[in-house]
Amino acid sequence: MATVARIVMNMGIQRIMTTDPKLLTLVHWLSPSYPIGSFAWSHGIEAAIAQGWIEDDQSLKEWLTDLVQQGSIRNDAILISLAYGTTDYDTVRNLNATARALAASKERIREAERQGTAFAKTTREVWKLNLPDLMLPVALGYAARLQDLDGQSLTAIYAQSVLSNLVLAAQRLMALGQTSAQTILLELTPLCAELSQDVAHSDLDDIYSNCFLSDVASMVHETQQPRLFQS
Amino acid sequence: MVNRNLSAKMLTRGATKRRNVELEQIIPRSEGRGALSSKLYKGRSVIDDFRCSGALRVLFPRTDQDLSAILINTSGGLTSGDIFEFEATAQKGSNLTLSTQAAERGYRALTGSAVTQTTLSVEDGARLNWLPQELILFDGCDIERSLTANMQGDAQFLFVEPMVFGRTAMKETVNRGRFLDQVTIYRDQILLYFDRVRLEDDLKNTLSQRAIAQGCLAMVNLIYIGPDAEAHLDTVRSHLPITGGATMIEDDVMVGRVLASDGFELRQALLPILDLLSQNTLPKTWRL
Repeated sequence: MATVARIVMNMGIQRIMTTDPKLLTLVHWLSPSYPIGSFAWSHGIEAAIAQGWIEDDQSLKEWLTDLVQQGSIRNDAILISLAYGTTDYDTVRNLNATARALAASKERIREAERQGTAFAKTTREVWKLNLPDLMLPVALGYAARLQDLDGQSLTAIYAQSVLSNLVLAAQRLMALGQTSAQTILLELTPLCAELSQDVAHSDLDDIYSNCFLSDVASMVHETQQPRLFQS
Repeated sequence: MVNRNLSAKMLTRGATKRRNVELEQIIPRSEGRGALSSKLYKGRSVIDDFRCSGALRVLFPRTDQDLSAILINTSGGLTSGDIFEFEATAQKGSNLTLSTQAAERGYRALTGSAVTQTTLSVEDGARLNWLPQELILFDGCDIERSLTANMQGDAQFLFVEPMVFGRTAMKETVNRGRFLDQVTIYRDQILLYFDRVRLEDDLKNTLSQRAIAQGCLAMVNLIYIGPDAEAHLDTVRSHLPITGGATMIEDDVMVGRVLASDGFELRQALLPILDLLSQNTLPKTWRL
């Protein structure tokens, strides 16, 4: 009995040791309940569905794969990683300017700016951080640095949270069942882990985007009527 | 990577290295350099400083109003080892329009990249139109292109760089290749616009991807900075195909991205837009 109790106790300790509270902070920041209003933004998915560029499960998955591998989600991950890698505020301000200059359209700027501002406001007040208003990826990376959280986990969880939000948006816009939606997310999850490894040692020269049609989608969304999302 | 793949495919392994050395010696490298600035003189825009060397030549067609310059690459295209560098400045209050005599060609490159670098400066109250004709890419091309524009105060700027991936009418297909492109615009030293593209290896497959081009073989980035930019937004949008969009990223900065099935369709959309935004001063070479 004593041995069993010790094993149980050890397992208990082990479990406590491996669940890093800092990881929970990242999950907290990137959960849909964190008040940054991510549900309001579709990142051009609404226009892409209206134009027929995304028409079913498979094409949604392909579209999102492009964003992760050679588009905006990858660039966001690089910006997070770079903002995480510095304590110099001038560098952060330059990264913020880059994030803004990279945004493909007015709605893309707003999407990152408003979510970033909301994130900074809540995080500043709750965690008592000296965190200025920044574009979302830069704000996330810088806040994680200030709290000494794990940067690589941050980029992976960020990518997954964006994908999750976009799949949810697609569910409201096209025929996409619960099971299919979650299957797409499951299939995209390894890409999030790969991405976070890829960008861990990246610099500004690694930024690029080939997702031209995604940019066009975010531009034509401005005149789309009626619409559910702000981007 | 591309070069290695291409040469490996074409040549036996033993001969590859020797043959590449031979190619490097045989293929002539083209270098072209040029600099041009315009100034306001007695109410007209005139040349202030001009020099060019190598395979870069510049023509100055007579025009009624602005200074217009037509760039010519006398080597006929871009391939491994070519270097083109061009700088232009529109000084305070002057207008300068730059274009090319014909479409530029990015040919198959076996031994490295062709590099083109452009630096533009537009001073207070000046206007610069950067309106090169299409860059046509061929199978196996390898190009690194970059453009930096420095704007000052209320400078105006019109920019297009159309691209065609293989001339479909000539039954040309770009299967593989490498195309790196970067456009950076600063205004009063603050980054305003930044775009970088990196298309490598299997271009045909990449361009067919969902969020990329869904098989479109022509595209253009359009930028217009001017006080009347927003006033033109609706008209610009009305000329765009369904695979094109335009937006205002600042009060006076319009950005557009257009995809088209081929170069012809792209031109059809682009011409009325360029006439509008250049106030009908589009160089005649565009219509030849």
